[in-house]
Formats: sequence, C-alpha cells, structure tokens
Amino acid sequence: MKDQRSYFERADFESDFPPQFLVSIVGVTIVLLELGFAQWPFFYGAAPVLSLIFIYYMNIYHEKYIPVFVIFLMGIVGDVLLSDLLGGRATAFLLLTYVMQHRLARLQQSDFGRLWLDFAVSCAAISLFQLLLFSALNLAIPSLSPILFQLGATLILFPIGFVIIFTVHRLLQKVKIV
Amino acid sequence: MRVSDKARIRQRRIIHGVLIFLSFSLMFLGKADLSALRNIRMGSSDFLAPFIDFVSAPIRGIETMVEGVRTVASLRAENVRLQGENDLLKRWRRRAEILESENRQLRSVTGAAAVKNRTQITARAVTAPGGGFAHTVLIAIGGEEGIVRGNPVVTADGLVGIVIDVGRAYARVLMISDINARIPVILSSSSWPGLSVGQNGQFLDLQFLPDEATPKIGELVLTSGHGGVLPNGLAVGRVDQIKDGKIRVRPAVDLRNLSYVSVLTGGLDGIDNSNLDLADFYTPLPIDDTTRLLEGLNSSGQRR
Repeated sequence: MKDQRSYFERADFESDFPPQFLVSIVGVTIVLLELGFAQWPFFYGAAPVLSLIFIYYMNIYHEKYIPVFVIFLMGIVGDVLLSDLLGGRATAFLLLTYVMQHRLARLQQSDFGRLWLDFAVSCAAISLFQLLLFSALNLAIPSLSPILFQLGATLILFPIGFVIIFTVHRLLQKVKIV
Repeated sequence: MRVSDKARIRQRRIIHGVLIFLSFSLMFLGKADLSALRNIRMGSSDFLAPFIDFVSAPIRGIETMVEGVRTVASLRAENVRLQGENDLLKRWRRRAEILESENRQLRSVTGAAAVKNRTQITARAVTAPGGGFAHTVLIAIGGEEGIVRGNPVVTADGLVGIVIDVGRAYARVLMISDINARIPVILSSSSWPGLSVGQNGQFLDLQFLPDEATPKIGELVLTSGHGGVLPNGLAVGRVDQIKDGKIRVRPAVDLRNLSYVSVLTGGLDGIDNSNLDLADFYTPLPIDDTTRLLEGLNSSGQRR
C-alpha cells in the first residue's frame, strides 16, 4: 500500500529520540542516586525507590518520552547493582507500566491526592509482588520491617519527587528541550 | 487515530510483552547461578561502580558534614571515652601477649598445627544494601589485587561477610545479614556449635544449637572455622535476645556504617571455590561422635 502521509510528515522533523535519550540518562542516574541514599545509615537496607516515582510521573504525563526499554533498563540496573533478584525489579516496573497504560486517561484527570493514593497502592503491589517472588524462589521469608520502611519512605518522598520532576520539566519547556 | 499511531501502539505493546518475558526469564536464569550471567553481572558492576561514586558524592558530602557537626558537638565526651577504651585495650594487649605465648607453648606440646596466615587488604565499600531482598556490598578491590571468591571480609570489630563475585576492579560481598548467609559459629563461653543465619534485617538468627546449649544474653558468637573457608575466632555478634526458643544475635560490626573493610586473602588452599554454590557452601557439617567440633573434642564434648 502506498504511504498516504505527506513528505514532511514522513521526514519526522520532531523526533522523539533526543528527549527519550535524555529521559533514559536521567532514569539511570536516579537509580544510581538510590544507591547513594542507601549509604546513609538511616536508609540502611531500605532506600526509597526514587526510580518508581520517576516512572510513575513520566508514565502519566509524558508517556511517549519514556519507552518501555528505558523502564526495563532502569529495573535491570537496579537489580544488578542492588543484587536483588535479577529481573525482579524490571518485571515489576514493566507490569506496573502495563497496568497504568490501561488507566492512563483516569490518572491524567485525577487530583494530586488521588494520584498519591494510587501511587501508594502501586508501590504496595510492587513490594508484594517482589516479596512473593523472592519467597517462592528462595523458600524463605525475609524480615518485613525493612520492606515496610522502604515503602513508607518512598510514599513520604513522593510529593517532593513529584514537585522536583514537575519543576525540572517546566524549566526544560522554557528552554524548549522537551 | 492515524495509521502511524496505531502501528506505534502495536509496536510498543509487542516490545512491552517481549521485555516482560525477558525480565521474567532473567529471574530464573539468575537463580540458576550461571557463570556466564555472573560474569556479565560483575562486568556491569565494574562499569557502573565509578558512576555510583560520582552520583553519590554530594550525598556522601552531606553525610560527612552532618557527621562532622555531630563529632564536634561530642568531642569532649568522645575524648574521655577513648581514653578509657585505650586503658582497657592496653590491659587486653598485655593479656593477649601472655595468652599468645601460652598458646604457642601448648601447641608445641600437643603438636597442633598453627593457624594459616592470611593477608589483609583494605578496600572501600562503594555501595550499601539498598533493598530488603539482598544484603550485599560492592567493594573497590577485585581480581587484579588477588581477591577470589570465598575470601572473608572483616573490620576491626568482626566479620562482615564473604566475597561472592569478583570483577576486574570490584568485588561483591555477601553480608552476614543476608538471608542466604549461613555461618558456622560457636558460643564463646560454652563452645557449643551452631549456625548464624541472616534475615535481611539488622539481626541474625542463631540456629541448630544443641538442646543442651544455654546461651546467655551478651555472649559472644564467633566463627567456628568449620569448612575451612572462614578462619575461626572472628567475632560474628553477641546474643541479643532469647525468646520462644529463638536466639537473636546482634552483629559485632555496625553494618550500617561500613566505609572501609579488610579482605583476608589466602588460606583457601585445598578448597574448590571455582564453582562456589552458596547453598552447598554453608551446609552444616554432619554431627556424629567421630566429628571433631573443636580441637581435641568430639560432638559429645568428650576428649578424644
């Protein structure tokens, strides 16, 4: 079939690739930052999952700039460096993205309170998913208090992370990068 | 919706499915502990570790600043405490010299073999456990410095863990608090053997103690040296709580504040660490009357 699009449309002058590349760099850096936070004795064994906040925000407001490969990459890098179950984080992130895609319109119209609540449910679901997988593969149940602490810390940092990402996005819009 | 948009959505869904399948498969491959996958993983850690250092520099800076303020505020009290500790250490040093001499004499009388010497190499801890599912750390020392799998990692306070993966310039250490870490130990005062099991938390469980054993709160738990990988006598922790038959041990090392550690190299002669399967590695020794648990004693505590 002959391509019906105009010449200029096919030329694709406004490629999504540069912002996607930028988002992938930022995503991996956030995973590395999580490891930095883990070095604080306060967050020992329970560093907040900042990457989840980033993925959640990007999935809702800038879905086209965060390809699924970037989500996979962020999960795998976290798995490799934290030596969690290899692929466990990546699977959880990808499944969350899949579920979010089906509820995207509703999430985009929700107020912040509802988003926070939805994020809390998503975060708990991911922790439970990882806990079940870990327990099934290791035939042991790890101490639950660090997992709950991690969940709590991530939820508390959600508004801060949300505001920071929003501000950075506004700045980038001003310089017309995104 | 345009044709190109539909195609893009379909393409995205296919990629999404493939990636979910791939990451799910990786979980099982990772669990199979394939050496190729382990090498890729350690290679990735080697590549990413310098970036972690770079990214976490500001966080470390803030931590150092807070620590500095706290130290200055408690300088006088710290000085008094250190003077007291110094006096105590001087007394212990004299006692250790007497005991060492006595030990040497007794060894020469009984003909017992001397403990193999291990070389200490100091390394910086690059990461800390960040999740509730694994307690491992990356240290800035690797195969280039002669580190091999199975090397014990210690601080001045006691055992931190053992090296489980070695890269070119970095190595991964499985901490004693990890759920997969099972360390053969003895109680310091009664010498009863047991197994220290990590819980992915701040405490360890002491398991497989004989029924006759009566651990006391505060009692020191030391490595027994069984299996020959870990030297005996390294402090693992102290008994912290005994409740409903469960014995909780507080690690001797404050694992939350690891900056530098020492790797004990050597001493693995005759131990095959090329295919180190952690499950087999920590399997407790079978206990019968012919098993020697301590120098000169069998499992019933009878002198041989």
